[in-house]
Amino acid sequence: MNKNSEQLLSKALRNDRIGEPDKAIEDRLMYAFLLKNSSVKVRQNSFSSFAGWLFSGQHMGMKAGFVSVVLFFSLFNNQLAFDPGKVSASDSITSQRILVADSAHFIQLVDSLRVDSLN
Amino acid sequence: MIFRRKNKTFSDNELMQQIVLGDQSAFSELYNRYKGRMYYYFYRMLGNSADTANDFLQELFMKLIEKPENYNPAFPFSTWFYSVANNMCKNEYRKRGIRQEYQEAEALEPQIDYLSDSTIEHEQVIVKIFETLDSLAEEHRSAFLLRYREGFSIKEIAEILELPEGTVKSRLFYAKKMLAEKLEYLKDQIEF
Repeated sequence: MNKNSEQLLSKALRNDRIGEPDKAIEDRLMYAFLLKNSSVKVRQNSFSSFAGWLFSGQHMGMKAGFVSVVLFFSLFNNQLAFDPGKVSASDSITSQRILVADSAHFIQLVDSLRVDSLN
Repeated sequence: MIFRRKNKTFSDNELMQQIVLGDQSAFSELYNRYKGRMYYYFYRMLGNSADTANDFLQELFMKLIEKPENYNPAFPFSTWFYSVANNMCKNEYRKRGIRQEYQEAEALEPQIDYLSDSTIEHEQVIVKIFETLDSLAEEHRSAFLLRYREGFSIKEIAEILELPEGTVKSRLFYAKKMLAEKLEYLKDQIEF
């Protein structure tokens, strides 16, 4: 069969119009689909797409930049520095003391007797 | 935006994967892609009846809803979908008991209504083509529609109809021969 006749047949058939299917079919199918998948967890409006993006390899530069900024502010923010028991004295001498919530464990280095009572 | 669904065009295979996960918008997209084509196929395969074509179209998509996992993503979706549709047509023919035997060309000789060039109109061509195809067995009709309406290759048609490529070629040859005899003006252009 030559090209012309192939094209002629194709053109004749492709230009053939028989109308559209009944629109009610789509509604019925959508309803059936909903019924069938009613037990399937809802994916719309969930964070699954965000989580998927977060743990994927996409936009790594943007993610790395964001993490760097967070780390930068974390490291240079003194409020977040955790250094317990270090008290700076006014004369720049620092004394290291372990602060314990339980006062029974506090070692009193000085005699508890008042000095002026001995006089 | 990362929180919004991506507004991109999915392939049929990707849509099927989403349908398996219960995505209704994917199903709607696939339905809109194929409704016209499948409706046409059923309409022409099952006696040019709009009601029958609508019933079969609905049944076909119901099969997709009920068992989307039947689709094997290793193969093109359109080929698989037409194969399901074609099996439905075959079952319908069996049910109706009107499956026609292979008709010899001579048997149709007295019915041939030649068209002269002066009377050719597009609608007439279509009517004559389908009159001829209706007189053929459904195997010839399906091969012809898949080739000239849907533009499938011989290999794809062979997959859809589950036949060797040689058989598809011979069916197309026979359908074209019948058409050429029916539509005399095509004779000059069709080579055998």
